[in-house]
Amino acid sequence: MLRNYFKIAWRNLAKHKFISFINLFGLTVGLTCCLLILAYVLNELSYDRYNSRADRIYRVTRSFLNKDGVQSLHLSSIAPPFAPLLKNDFPDIQQITRVLPSNTTPMRYKDNIFNEQKAFFVDEHFADLFDVHTVAGDPKTALEAPFSLMLTEGTARKYFGPEDPMNKVIRVNNQFDCKVTGIFKEFPANAHMHPEVMISFNTLRDSAIYGENNLLTNYGNNAFYTYFLVPENYPVHQRIEAQFPAFIDKNVHFPGAPSDFKPSKTTRLFVQKLTDIHLRSHLDDELEENGDITRVYIFGSIALFILLIACINYMNLSTARSALRAREIGIRKVAGAERKELILQFLSESVMIAWIAILLAIGLTWLTLPWLNELTGGALSLAPLFQGKLLIPLILTPILVGVLSGIYPALFMSSFQPVKVLKGLFKAGGGSISFRKVLVVVQFSISIILIISTAIVFQQLDYIRQKSLGFNKDHIITMQYDTGLDKTWDAFRNQLLQSAYVKDAGRSSRIPGGRLLDEMGASVESGDSLRPVTADIKYLAADYDFVPTYGISVVAGRNFSRAWSTDSSAAYLLNVAATRVLDLKSPAAAIGKNFSYGNTKGKIVGVLGDFHFESLHQKILPMVLVLPRASQTAGSFGRISIKLAGNNLPAALTYLESAWKRFLPTTPFEYEFMDKQFGQLYASEQRQASLFTTFACIAIFIACLGLLGLSAFAISQRVKEIGIRKVLGANVSGIVMLLSRDFMILVALAAVIGSAVAAVAMNKWLGGFAYSISMSLWVFLGAAILAAAVALVTIGVQAVRVATSNPVKSLRSE
Amino acid sequence: MIKISDLQKVYRTEEVETIALNKLTFDVKEGEFVAVMGPSGCGKSTLLNILGLLDDPDGGSFLFNGTEVAHFNERKRADLRKRNIGFVFQSFNLIDELTVFENVELPLIYLGVKGPERKQRVETVLDKMQIMHRRNHYPQQLSGGQQQRVAVARAVVNNPKLILADEPTGNLDSSNGNEVMQLLTDLNEQGTTIIMVTHSEHDSRYSHRIIRMLDGQTVTENILV
Repeated sequence: MLRNYFKIAWRNLAKHKFISFINLFGLTVGLTCCLLILAYVLNELSYDRYNSRADRIYRVTRSFLNKDGVQSLHLSSIAPPFAPLLKNDFPDIQQITRVLPSNTTPMRYKDNIFNEQKAFFVDEHFADLFDVHTVAGDPKTALEAPFSLMLTEGTARKYFGPEDPMNKVIRVNNQFDCKVTGIFKEFPANAHMHPEVMISFNTLRDSAIYGENNLLTNYGNNAFYTYFLVPENYPVHQRIEAQFPAFIDKNVHFPGAPSDFKPSKTTRLFVQKLTDIHLRSHLDDELEENGDITRVYIFGSIALFILLIACINYMNLSTARSALRAREIGIRKVAGAERKELILQFLSESVMIAWIAILLAIGLTWLTLPWLNELTGGALSLAPLFQGKLLIPLILTPILVGVLSGIYPALFMSSFQPVKVLKGLFKAGGGSISFRKVLVVVQFSISIILIISTAIVFQQLDYIRQKSLGFNKDHIITMQYDTGLDKTWDAFRNQLLQSAYVKDAGRSSRIPGGRLLDEMGASVESGDSLRPVTADIKYLAADYDFVPTYGISVVAGRNFSRAWSTDSSAAYLLNVAATRVLDLKSPAAAIGKNFSYGNTKGKIVGVLGDFHFESLHQKILPMVLVLPRASQTAGSFGRISIKLAGNNLPAALTYLESAWKRFLPTTPFEYEFMDKQFGQLYASEQRQASLFTTFACIAIFIACLGLLGLSAFAISQRVKEIGIRKVLGANVSGIVMLLSRDFMILVALAAVIGSAVAAVAMNKWLGGFAYSISMSLWVFLGAAILAAAVALVTIGVQAVRVATSNPVKSLRSE
Repeated sequence: MIKISDLQKVYRTEEVETIALNKLTFDVKEGEFVAVMGPSGCGKSTLLNILGLLDDPDGGSFLFNGTEVAHFNERKRADLRKRNIGFVFQSFNLIDELTVFENVELPLIYLGVKGPERKQRVETVLDKMQIMHRRNHYPQQLSGGQQQRVAVARAVVNNPKLILADEPTGNLDSSNGNEVMQLLTDLNEQGTTIIMVTHSEHDSRYSHRIIRMLDGQTVTENILV
């Protein structure tokens, strides 16, 4: 029986090539989109699961509350003393490990000097939690001894070439020597961290490097990523996380705090499942940029939408064509077919088409994946799609898709009365017209939602690009600050300024485009005394030249100045946002006011115009610029920013490098462009936008294909009517209008529905930006007009063809 | 074999009510060959559809082999139909996408007959209808007479007790028409009951009995034999 069904399905497919092409092509493209997106989704969901103990590993995170109990910061890392205390207080924690990423670290072996961006101090328990595959050395013991380190294969090759790296000695940070005790394979792409160098954590115990005491008492340095291992199915939230407040009150002591002070009121600890980090953790100071579960949902829905559009095409075209098959159905019924047999026949047809489509789709996915990877900068592969667990769903998909798209036509066609169809009483494609209209509206609504979303995403990204940041990021390059410059900075800067290529150079603790996370307590003059400020004011350590280098405007007072000897010990710059939280009437009112920050008293000497230090996702925060005293320079600065004239970049860079080499011969010369770094802030949105555009175009294309088929059919049903109308004097445009009108009403309805849905969805998306565009009516109108135009062209081409043909032909053939 | 009494069928549209069958009563014995004649619109085709269980009556009784079938639901009707009744239409009604062999095979598939037996039975009947050499052709490739012979082959392949023929020669020239009538006569002689709707006096002479209808009622019954 099935063979008979497939046979007739195949012959039908071959006979109606145009319709078959639309159906097959639509389903193939739809399924290809699904497979591509599935590859992406699977990759996102797979993060960190390669670890054999992934389900038992948790990370500890820490938040800080301000005086009002509002969370001001939530870091993904914690202070070093917590780990041993946790291990001690919670016996169910089987193992705990700490990871401290170091900043850019110069490393040297003989003449090979490189700045390592991913050198981590990692303790000897790391391999008890995470899977580390070594090529040489034992992952469990290689990091036990202080001053030992492990390298990835690639890094080892970089330093040692063909030599055997084991037991060689590398100079780290121009400060200490480490012996290579192991070589490990690079962490997989779907890990939330990718250390290149792992230096033994015990190295930190050396007082010249960090110090045992610091490790045990420093609650202020929350840079230690801390992971622990629990038994299987352990209720970690009840047994551990719930005990954290008591744990903090017991162990954390702030010097000088009153005896009834509860530290748990100001700081909290949380646990986070390892496998949730990539998609669900958006904390401050993540190790790497994470993904986002919402994005997984968004693209998942887009895939299903596109598939739905393709299925609707199938439903629409099949029912529209049902008249052509009515006789066959009648004959089969007369020959003894029962309704369920006919339903089964039509379903096997749609399943067969879906099967062919998925085979084609797998091929197409294979061909297009590299292109997608290029577009998104990803490294997706098809392999996860064909792994055991997914193979069965993959085989079942065509059945699902086939049934989804075939069930309505099957139920519809199998209900035909043989008496009517065999007597020719059956009216072509009747009955189901209203349902088909609903389907067309659904298709076009989806397309319009995608068009509007794409337009708004682009507008927002453009807005971000165009928005005045409050400083000039052009021609600025930044470099890692080196403490070797602490004493020679002025000479180094003068050397730079001697060149016509360099306009200015300044130092700061952080640079625009990064986060602004550091804060201390502030007090401001109020009457005769200083009143503590409740609001958070973030601080930035900056030198005299930071403000002019970035061209930040000074709206009141003045910048730090070498001419004022008091500046070097007691001067502050605020931004306008900070003057607002201090309840000052105007920026000018702030000038000369006494101000204390982190218990250092001084005066406000200037107010800066608000500028977007952080990305536009964040609101402009109140901030204070602090000029570190000469004696405190050490450790205050993190980056150097250099403003170039921008006329001859290569020459400027050569000059910079030669100057750098003169002052810092053992530190590699590495730099980044500020505007490029800024671009990266929105890289994920940029990628999202290109993907959106692609998928929106595909959706509209498939929807139009369906419309093409449907209108071709509708028009073919009316050829005689058109002939008569023409004989009676109708002109071409009148006939095109007549034929297009029905469909245009549907598109108009879809525009209304689609606009409403898109407005809600995009409002939510824009809510993720602190600074966003307001949606304009034009976008919605434009999308509607675009959809209508595309539909009109689709229908119009055929309508014109029919309308201009000789009416005698169509009438004679009847 | 068939006994109908007071059979009624009314077609209603919003404004018009057409009585297609008006308290029709007659019966057909097993082995009979009955021709139903009458002008267009007299209810012949409606009657044939009801007899073929393709349509249900609005009133009256329809006994098929002693079973009341007038109010059978669609599934029961389909089941009774595929086991007992074969159809021959004026317009042949072959499926264009299937070959001659496959068209004839169709009723056996729906009866659940297994492959090898199906093949043997289809070949037997194609042989009998002398279209074996055309078994792999599609209907469009055959002449009208050949197509109707395929249709007859399809009607008889499941050995039905009753064959309903709706103007079987209407689309055929006279020599092809006679061939088809001869086929039906042979089947009748082998015991199959035949009820045939026709306009042709010539064809009606192949039957044992002619029922003439007008306005949904029988007006005369002529016994030929």
